[in-house]
Amino acid sequence: MNALEVKNLTKTFNGITAVNNASFEVPEGSIFGLIGRNGAGKTTTIRIMMNIYMPDSGEVILRGTKVGQEFKNKVGYLPEERGLYKKMKVLDTLLFFAEIKGKLGKDVTKKALDYLDRFDLLDRKDAKVEDLSKGNQQKVQFISTILHDPEFIILDEPFSGLDPINTNLLKEIILEEKKKNKVIILSTHLMDFAEKMSDHIAMINHGKIILNGSLSEIKKKYSQKNVSLTYEGNISFLHHNPIIDKISDYGNTTGIRVNDTSQIQQLLKLLVENNIVVKNFSANEISLQEIFVELAGKIDDEILEVKNV
Amino acid sequence: MFNYRIIGLLKRELKEKLLSKTFIIMTLAIPAFMILVLGMQALLFSYDGDENTKLKLITESEELTQSFKSEFEELPFIKNNYYDFEYFTKSKNELTKYLEEKKSDLLDEKLSGIIFISDSTKNTKHVSYYSKTPNNATITEKLSGYINKVLVNNYFQHKNLSEADLDFARTRVDFTGFKVSEDQEIEEEGYGNLVLSYLFTFLLYISLIMMGQMTMQSVMEEKSSRVAEVLLSSVSSKELMTGKILGASITGVFQMAVWLIPLILVTFTAIFTLPAEFSFSISIGQIVYLLFNFFLGLITFLGLFAMIGSIFENSQDAQSGMWPILMLIMIPFFIAMSLVRNPASPIALIASMFPFASIIVMPARMTLADVPIWQFILSIVISFATIIAIFPFAGKIFRVGILRTGKKPSWGEIVKWLKYKY
Repeated sequence: MNALEVKNLTKTFNGITAVNNASFEVPEGSIFGLIGRNGAGKTTTIRIMMNIYMPDSGEVILRGTKVGQEFKNKVGYLPEERGLYKKMKVLDTLLFFAEIKGKLGKDVTKKALDYLDRFDLLDRKDAKVEDLSKGNQQKVQFISTILHDPEFIILDEPFSGLDPINTNLLKEIILEEKKKNKVIILSTHLMDFAEKMSDHIAMINHGKIILNGSLSEIKKKYSQKNVSLTYEGNISFLHHNPIIDKISDYGNTTGIRVNDTSQIQQLLKLLVENNIVVKNFSANEISLQEIFVELAGKIDDEILEVKNV
Repeated sequence: MFNYRIIGLLKRELKEKLLSKTFIIMTLAIPAFMILVLGMQALLFSYDGDENTKLKLITESEELTQSFKSEFEELPFIKNNYYDFEYFTKSKNELTKYLEEKKSDLLDEKLSGIIFISDSTKNTKHVSYYSKTPNNATITEKLSGYINKVLVNNYFQHKNLSEADLDFARTRVDFTGFKVSEDQEIEEEGYGNLVLSYLFTFLLYISLIMMGQMTMQSVMEEKSSRVAEVLLSSVSSKELMTGKILGASITGVFQMAVWLIPLILVTFTAIFTLPAEFSFSISIGQIVYLLFNFFLGLITFLGLFAMIGSIFENSQDAQSGMWPILMLIMIPFFIAMSLVRNPASPIALIASMFPFASIIVMPARMTLADVPIWQFILSIVISFATIIAIFPFAGKIFRVGILRTGKKPSWGEIVKWLKYKY
């Protein structure tokens, strides 16, 4: 079942279309990745979903009814640009944000202290936010996002600015929340994170949804005829080989697409014959980044063509 | 209208403002500062700076010279050499020569001035004063009464009038003000209410500007620190604005009430007593009116200040956007100050019930003139109507502005915001 359905959202600012007829579904109990480059329209989409902006057209359906204040009460939102009251004390900040969600009392205070302890911030509970390091402010903001036990957690670029240890801690908590059957929406331009964590994704580019669905199905669909390769040597001889459809260099790995699935074994043979040191050869495998670059590139080409005409 | 979200926002605002050191210090410092300013003013006015004034008094007849001499030498400020006088008898022609002689002394200010009383002065009272600074009011005002006295004596000397007649002629007219009002007995009025009208005007003005700046700053901080976006994921922009403005308005009224405590104590208790000439009359109803209308005024103005804060991201840009609102505070301020001259003027009447202006003008007017109840009620109704009229606009601009970042918008763009579907 779908927790949220986004239907034909369009939003323009001063003649610039930020979101263009976007539709996708967020299933119950999933981690949903909203993926796109900076400025693709992720934040605007999220703001419309949370009723901060009104769409020019389209609607967002929460379990059968249009979103409104009710959704705001159920959501915890970590915006991309973090914001806390600088002069407020850490614990006061957490309690304030919980209070405007309708949660107050001893239980909330205890929970806040538990989270602070977990994030190693308990001794700073009476410090002013401005006296905390940026990373610690980030942690306080994250706690304020989940302290009121929301059913929906929307995280916009949650890992930016966090060190590896805290990144892991954050991931751990996100997965914990998922186990509690929470719906988690992860908005990011980091395909790697999205790929590792999401069950479902929607890819947005220039305000349009270019791909949307379950991650495993998407990968199954796009990984056919595709090989993900890590190697040492020179593979330029492949460029003119008739079995090769496309070669994409992603730095560490190279994506190679053949014209037919049956040609994958042939490709491996060719590599070995040409003395290429094959370190990793995954048949029928494709990274989200490869899919994105392929789709977004195609669309950018189309846009360029239109502009040139 | 009041839900837990607004209450949560309100509590935070009150905690941040009422308990902040700046607020407590300002609340205490402003009355102290006002007393200091008033004291300074009184001191400056009482200081004439005319010690060691050297004057020559010249008349055309020996007899008149002697009358001046005998009269003036009894004056305390001449007796103690504060003023130094020399007396001569010279004709008009001799004076011209004498002036030539003394010109350099006058220019070097070794000599402050020469007073010439010609024979015709005895009838016309036209006195000539030769000096480098002939418009020095301190000297001429100080002396004109005494010169007049000598001239009057001289004039009536040979006219067979009794001393009593002369005294009557010398006495000046003296006005005593009696305030006639509907419900109170006719009573003599001192300066108290005049002082009160200045006091109200200043306090209301200062508080409006201070709370306005505070509100604008705090909105700008929420906008530039991006707290606004987090808040808007929990509350609507209307709730955010309501909580913020109510919080600041309550703070402002509280501050005003603190400032008025001495006044209330003087009026309704016997703890302090004022000298008769400073006594004033004000009713508890008028104080309640002042606080209530001020509360409405704060909501109105803070709505506008919050709107300005939402448009801009830094104080410098905001200064440029703030002036139209400052004008709405300053014009009533000047009207209220001018009221002292004529509290019954039609401008005062209209301004005391006009949108934006009534907050400052009515309290000044009610201390000086008898204001009928219906005018109080009308001013409150108009204040309410003003709030209802401006908030849809202010709210819309606030809603768009608070999430908008980047370059400073033009006025044209801001007008377009009103048409946005947000």
